Amino acid sequence: MLDTLAKRLLQSIPVLIGVLVLGFLLVQLSPGDPARVFAGAMAPPEVVEQIREKMGLDRSLWTQFWGYVERVMHGDLGRSFISNKTVTSELLAAIVPTMELMIACLIWSIPLGIGMGTLAAVWRGSLVDRAVMAFSVAGVSLPIFFICLLLIQWFGVKWQLFPFIGRGGPLWTVEGLRHIALPALSLGLIFIGPVARMTRSSVLEVLRLDHVRTARSKGLNESQVILRHGLRNALIPVVTLVGLQAGYLLGGAVVTETVFSYPGIGRLSVGAILSADYPLAQGCILVLALAFIIINMIVDILYAILDPRVQKR
Amino acid sequence: MTAVNKFLTATAVIALAGPLAAQEITIVREVDSNNYDPHKTTARAAAEALFMLGDTLVSLEPDMQTVTDGLAKGWEVSEDGLVYTFHLKDGVQFCNGREMTAQDVVYSMKRWIDPETNSPVSWRAGDVEDIVALDDKTVEYRLQHPFSELLYQLTQSFATVIDKDTVEELGEDFGISGFVGTGPFCWESWSPRDKMVLTRHENYAWGPAFYENKGPAHLEKITWQIVPEENTRTVAIVTGQSEATQYVPPIALNQLRNTPNISVQQSDSAFWTYFMGFKVNKETVSDEVVRQAINLAVNQEALAEDLLFGEVEPAYSYVSQAALDWNEALDDKLLRYDPEAAKSMLDEAGWVPGPDGVRAKDGVELRPTAYVFAGSSWQKLSEFVQAELLKVGIGMEIQAFDATVAWGKLATQEFDIFGMSYPYVSSGDALNLYFPSQNMPTPNRMNWDDPETDELLQAGKTALSDQDRAAAYGKVLEKVHAAAVWLPLYHEPMFIAQTDKLEPIKPHNNYGAGFYKGLDLKYKE
Repeated sequence: MLDTLAKRLLQSIPVLIGVLVLGFLLVQLSPGDPARVFAGAMAPPEVVEQIREKMGLDRSLWTQFWGYVERVMHGDLGRSFISNKTVTSELLAAIVPTMELMIACLIWSIPLGIGMGTLAAVWRGSLVDRAVMAFSVAGVSLPIFFICLLLIQWFGVKWQLFPFIGRGGPLWTVEGLRHIALPALSLGLIFIGPVARMTRSSVLEVLRLDHVRTARSKGLNESQVILRHGLRNALIPVVTLVGLQAGYLLGGAVVTETVFSYPGIGRLSVGAILSADYPLAQGCILVLALAFIIINMIVDILYAILDPRVQKR
Repeated sequence: MTAVNKFLTATAVIALAGPLAAQEITIVREVDSNNYDPHKTTARAAAEALFMLGDTLVSLEPDMQTVTDGLAKGWEVSEDGLVYTFHLKDGVQFCNGREMTAQDVVYSMKRWIDPETNSPVSWRAGDVEDIVALDDKTVEYRLQHPFSELLYQLTQSFATVIDKDTVEELGEDFGISGFVGTGPFCWESWSPRDKMVLTRHENYAWGPAFYENKGPAHLEKITWQIVPEENTRTVAIVTGQSEATQYVPPIALNQLRNTPNISVQQSDSAFWTYFMGFKVNKETVSDEVVRQAINLAVNQEALAEDLLFGEVEPAYSYVSQAALDWNEALDDKLLRYDPEAAKSMLDEAGWVPGPDGVRAKDGVELRPTAYVFAGSSWQKLSEFVQAELLKVGIGMEIQAFDATVAWGKLATQEFDIFGMSYPYVSSGDALNLYFPSQNMPTPNRMNWDDPETDELLQAGKTALSDQDRAAAYGKVLEKVHAAAVWLPLYHEPMFIAQTDKLEPIKPHNNYGAGFYKGLDLKYKE
């Protein structure tokens, strides 16, 4: 177990270096002139030049990159061009809301997705199966933007159940929960589909295997067979999927956070890129890549727990 | 009502009840400012908060013409127009309780123009000789040259009086982690791109004369909430999650007007004009006839009606005809929609249609390139213009750039036409920004290099009487309109959508900040 973890940790180092280089280059090579953005439309050229100099944008790419790496190694991600706050503090302020959003989304959508998938597999071909499949196709194919607007229309405007602007506070407060409800619902809706589908096909496959037949012949009742012998083994591909999808959720969060004006990392990234705020954009890329790496590691560890054979490999 | 509906309604009542509307409101808006240091940002979003957080020596009435009291109760201007003496009101305090004196005014103004501050808007302060405090209540503002625009410029948020100690204590973080001014509201917190919270300045009692309420403000708290998505902003007003906003898309205005308990207030003295400018030394648009023909070929009325739901005023003039120093003699001479005249003008000038209908003369094809901002409004506007121009044989090509790139691109010589919109307080403000030759290549992107214009602008700037100033600017207006340097598209009025729980809000227009000082914002009793 520790071996797996150590190996995964080592493997993530080159990935991180790659992310560092790519993040730097992507942002540098993107068109746009932050000095101009910073100075504003009316500023005379000499003011723009002074600002460019102050921001260090007149130095060579190489010098800028070295400076960047050196600072990152010291844990200093620089200061936002726009707000002049340290990138670290901006990121920290945005990570917590996004993590809350992830938790609020996964906590209801994973169990529901797995449950729906299992039911669909057990009653294969039935009305339940078709309903689950139709639901998951809809969840996958509807653009999240549209889902958000529908939720606002129903829960926000028609029934006036939940607010749909901003974050009300930490997750454990009433206001926090009320504000996170719609964003978490919209993100979860796109998440359930793939989970349910994967669970369904995986359970169907496992139910055909020998050990399930053995369990049945031992005289265990059907729910025990499915839960203990079927589902547990069927969950491995589902966990992989959840891991991968959780990464994509961060992408969905960009849209969700924008529509619901939720101050998370998704909105921060978009804002940073649109305002050519290099240091902040690089920080966001770094954090998102780190999130991917961490999620993948968690998935690997879960494998080992679910399927002891993985540890020996 | 079904059981489900009953349940939902009951839950809704519980869910939305919350602490019943205390004296506080949430204003939703589209974007945040990069910071709230009056000298270091040009964002309208900054002005919106700074007018509430601080005061200026003089203020502007909602008619956008009349300069009135601010921190100064009165002022005199010397005959040569070089010395302005401001007499400050008594008992003015900063939010931290310290009394404001003439020294604070001097400090704020000097920081504004100090090269160290690197302010992109220091030119707005005029050519300052010196600013001195004669005593605790008197400030003398001495200029090297007369500057007839000075009082208008001093009403802008850039001229906000700030607390020296806070500036020094916060350093680079001034206007980011805190701010102390003398305004009707005080800074409580700001989380960038999310929200800004202002609380009432309890001792405030020195509001400008045109406000019924001189202070303190009726509201205890104002939250400026950023909501980038326009549909979300609209429904926020409908559902009462926000009490007021000036950022409503034109498409939603009528819907809001018809919504019970919501009103839309409008002011036509908002000076915000959309136009396309021509680089007059580019061969495709260097011919005055071509530029005039373009002005005749575009139907601004249809544009306002079809693209903007009739919510804006079609523009034929470069500044609003209601703006200070507008030349009324031009009213009848403005170029209006007449495509047939456009065609015959081009024919007469020798621009002959080619096989694909696009005109050419001496090997020059009328295919100007237009640079515009990518995003909803400019893309639609420029495509509309493109279609209109094609009907008279001009094949305009459009290149749209993201805002981060656009400002840089618009500083180059690559394009023939550009799309832009801008706020101004007066004709002089607008003309002095766009038409002096020293402002090439930007914001004078037209390369309008005319010594006579420069002289007239200088004359207007240094004029000692209102008549002289109006005459000088009037001549510039006549000149640039005759040369068709721009294609004006529309003037955007100021709209404020609000809940009827609040007294009707009178939109202000200074720098496009509709709520100005917020002193009259009030719940109905």
